Amino acid sequence: MQYTFDWSVIWRYRGTLLHGLALTLLLSLAGLAAALAIGMIAGAGGASRRPALKTAALVYVELARNVPLLVHIYFWYLGLSALRLPAFWCGVLALSIYSGAYVAEIVRAGIQSVPSGQRAAALALGLSPAAALRSVIYPQALRITAPSLAGVFSQLIKDSSLASVISVAELTFAAGVIEGDTFRTFEAYITITLLYFLVVTAVSRAALFVFGRRGAEVDRRF
Amino acid sequence: MDFTVIPRNLPYLLGGLGVTLETALLVILGGAAFGLGLGILRTGGLSAARVLAAGYIEIIRGTPLLVVLFFVYFGLPPVIGYRLSAYEAAVIGFILFIGAYIAEDYRSGVAAVPQQQREGALALGLTPRQVRHHVVLPQAVRQMIPALFNQFVRLVKFTSVAAVIGVTELTGAALAVNAREFQPVPIIATLAASYFVLCALLSLVGRGLNRRYAIQA
Repeated sequence: MQYTFDWSVIWRYRGTLLHGLALTLLLSLAGLAAALAIGMIAGAGGASRRPALKTAALVYVELARNVPLLVHIYFWYLGLSALRLPAFWCGVLALSIYSGAYVAEIVRAGIQSVPSGQRAAALALGLSPAAALRSVIYPQALRITAPSLAGVFSQLIKDSSLASVISVAELTFAAGVIEGDTFRTFEAYITITLLYFLVVTAVSRAALFVFGRRGAEVDRRF
Repeated sequence: MDFTVIPRNLPYLLGGLGVTLETALLVILGGAAFGLGLGILRTGGLSAARVLAAGYIEIIRGTPLLVVLFFVYFGLPPVIGYRLSAYEAAVIGFILFIGAYIAEDYRSGVAAVPQQQREGALALGLTPRQVRHHVVLPQAVRQMIPALFNQFVRLVKFTSVAAVIGVTELTGAALAVNAREFQPVPIIATLAASYFVLCALLSLVGRGLNRRYAIQA
């Protein structure tokens, strides 16, 4: 191996990297929030007893899941180029619709694992179906599914790297810029690998903490 | 919107589909073998191998696929002194990537084999090595069919990322046709439909195999 490392390029390009990190965080957080919203709605649809809702949720999940994320991205960026959406929002839409399907499947399984007596009791106590879902079923379902949700979230952060393909200047794009300017392939990619690792770990820990604790509160209340 | 763009460019697009299928097949075989080997090291008796395998799995699982591909395509050639083609780099990158996930699935498959099976086999006089190979491994593999096919479906979708480093597989071919004809709607719709069919078929195969080979509780 005849490769001499020169880590000074990382310091010289700190601005590019930090800008990329900020965009990766923004992209991931926006995608994550939207994916969670989509997934909770589609997941409730999938667990519902109404055939129309169930079918609609199934069609969405299968269509979104069986198409590569890259094709999702090109769908918004090229397919609907007539809309002239900014690349960043194409990335957010693609990420959230793609990951939303995975969240939906997890939420559906979570809802189905909450004993049906819980819903019956909530309705008998006079809660509306929406209120029963919001304050009885979701908190329990989310706690059960916290580890799987954390997995999808870390997947989403890593998937956000594909937005570099439509020239969103996030972390992977920043590494490409450094590599193109200096030929310092290893330094650039090792650095962003570490940054991804940190972000992914932080977000999945946070997800476990937030959803896990929400469940603990419910436990205390009963 | 002109849907004739698809029949007009059909041979080229089918060529791309061929590359996608070939890549997927190579990576399914290579990834399953590599992942299984890694999983065996990860759960095996050698503690040094266990630590190394665990480290590798954690690093790969924390890294985006695109970054792994860039590492292999741009980073590896100066180290190994051989200039990889984009296609070779993609296949190697996919195998390195998916192997880490398959190894983790193998580990949970092993964990799902009841402890008594191991104790029973040891009591019958099998060596620990025989227990691993003849008692744990066959059951773990049957246990992990659904997870394995999940990875295979992911992998078929992943092959599209090879377009980014310049492999003319299905996505690359579709993008090239679009660059020449600029008919994004029919082209992207066809692209999405093709992957959908491929992934749905693969899921069906997985479900069939699982029905046949899953261990009934």
